Amino acid sequence: MKKNWQKIKETPSLAERFLMREKVIDAVRLFFKGQAFHEVETPLLASCPGAEPYLNLFETSLELPDGQKKQAYLLTSPEYSMKKLLAAGLGNIFQICKTFRNQESLGGKHNPEFTILEFYRANANYLDVMNDFEAMMAFICQALSLNAKKVVYQGCTFDLTSPYLKFSVAELFEKYLHLNADQLLNLEFLRQKAQSLGYDLSGLESLSADLAWEELYNQLFLNEIESKLAAFNKPVIVYDYPTPQAALARKKASDPRFAERFEVYLAGMELGNAFGELIDPKEQKKRLEADMLLRKELGKKDHKIDQDFLTALEFGLPESSGMAVGIDRLIMLFADVSNIDQTLFFPASEAFLD
Amino acid sequence: MSTIKAGNIKKGIYILYKNLPHYVVKTQFVSPGKGSAFTRVKMRDMRNGSNLEFNFKSHDNVEELDVETKEMQFLYHDGNEIVFMDPRSYEQMTVPRSILDDKALMLTSDIKVYLTVYEEAVIGVVLPPKVRMTVSDAQDAISGDRQTAGKKPVTMESGLIVQAPLFIKTGDTLLIDTETADYVSRVND
Repeated sequence: MKKNWQKIKETPSLAERFLMREKVIDAVRLFFKGQAFHEVETPLLASCPGAEPYLNLFETSLELPDGQKKQAYLLTSPEYSMKKLLAAGLGNIFQICKTFRNQESLGGKHNPEFTILEFYRANANYLDVMNDFEAMMAFICQALSLNAKKVVYQGCTFDLTSPYLKFSVAELFEKYLHLNADQLLNLEFLRQKAQSLGYDLSGLESLSADLAWEELYNQLFLNEIESKLAAFNKPVIVYDYPTPQAALARKKASDPRFAERFEVYLAGMELGNAFGELIDPKEQKKRLEADMLLRKELGKKDHKIDQDFLTALEFGLPESSGMAVGIDRLIMLFADVSNIDQTLFFPASEAFLD
Repeated sequence: MSTIKAGNIKKGIYILYKNLPHYVVKTQFVSPGKGSAFTRVKMRDMRNGSNLEFNFKSHDNVEELDVETKEMQFLYHDGNEIVFMDPRSYEQMTVPRSILDDKALMLTSDIKVYLTVYEEAVIGVVLPPKVRMTVSDAQDAISGDRQTAGKKPVTMESGLIVQAPLFIKTGDTLLIDTETADYVSRVND
């Protein structure tokens, strides 16, 4: 198999596609600088990984000159460090960095190391962050001379003008599965719905009620809802997730069964994920401990809770909202390619698969 | 039939989905970000050739089908069906053309293929990676046509049309890639 660098050598016009990365990253950086955000750098190598219970980590060890070894991890997100900087009073901040996830497919929409944009707006709620995202996309369009804010992706034209389509999770369950908010939070209703759709439920018997609910919720969302969002020709913002689906998000004041989280979907791709950040240290500690228990239930290695992060919350964070955006996905969109490997000079699949 | 975990579904195997045999075209690991991992399986319904996608929980049980593979020889097209013969037993088998789809145009006389058989019905046909075929019609190239960049369409004995170099003539034997339906080379016998 020819490597990407060889293909570029043979067909120099291909370079343009790969350099879409440079253009998108330039535009993102310029946008946030223009909004008076500070660009920060935080470590990718950490002693406390603080990952979602379902994510798999790259583990390594740090060796000191005296031979001492310290457990170390490559981060799945710079979230904790950046929140510490919010506690430090830096105000609006952003970062474009690599993050790492283990045990995922190589190619398609995934690469084990990938580029994310993470930004936080202080004294802001998640609606402000929705606006930031829409404005950033408009800015990228402008930088790429897509003046009508229309992008052609895999044969379909998508309209990136504001406002985007917005649906709450409860609305989507009502629309596609005819389940109301009470029913979607109820294990029995989800079980019946899944059964009527012919799903295999045998694996659920051994799970706790919370975990069984979560599995069914995710499977119904992926199969019956997410797949349908691809049909819209505008970005779709899905907001207000059930609280168990948003470990680091603040609960909605009007309905604590749901939390201030949103995701953006376009053309079947998940482009980003945002929270109205949880800043209550007691609630955060409780949820992190619950996550650790879940890690054990899932048979994954547990690790230390980042006490420094909890200390930062105790010192106090401004009411903040933040978002993580998959930069590689944006590049795929604007370069009009269906595989992340076509946007990376050196995709992991080239190096690790025969 | 054997039971496997959905996380172990691999491209190229046959599975039972909603009690019907499906060929696995592609699998991908899906992590919804917050929540357990899934295996997204793109599969082909072997009855009608339609493609579909389903997200299995990685620990779901899935039945992998034990399919039998038979080497058979192509005999003839019969309307919407294609007839093959076992070259050893002379036993004949009929396959709906829909299973081969566009690939039906890759069949040349006496070509040997592998039929995938499940419960006595053919659910798949595996062609050799390359086939030899005779050109039944090749027009002289029109010089100066820059659009086609040194290639011209030629019609093969099966009716397949491929883009071939300008020097190819009627009666030539070509090697064709069965996966992409592309010209590979001219065969000099």
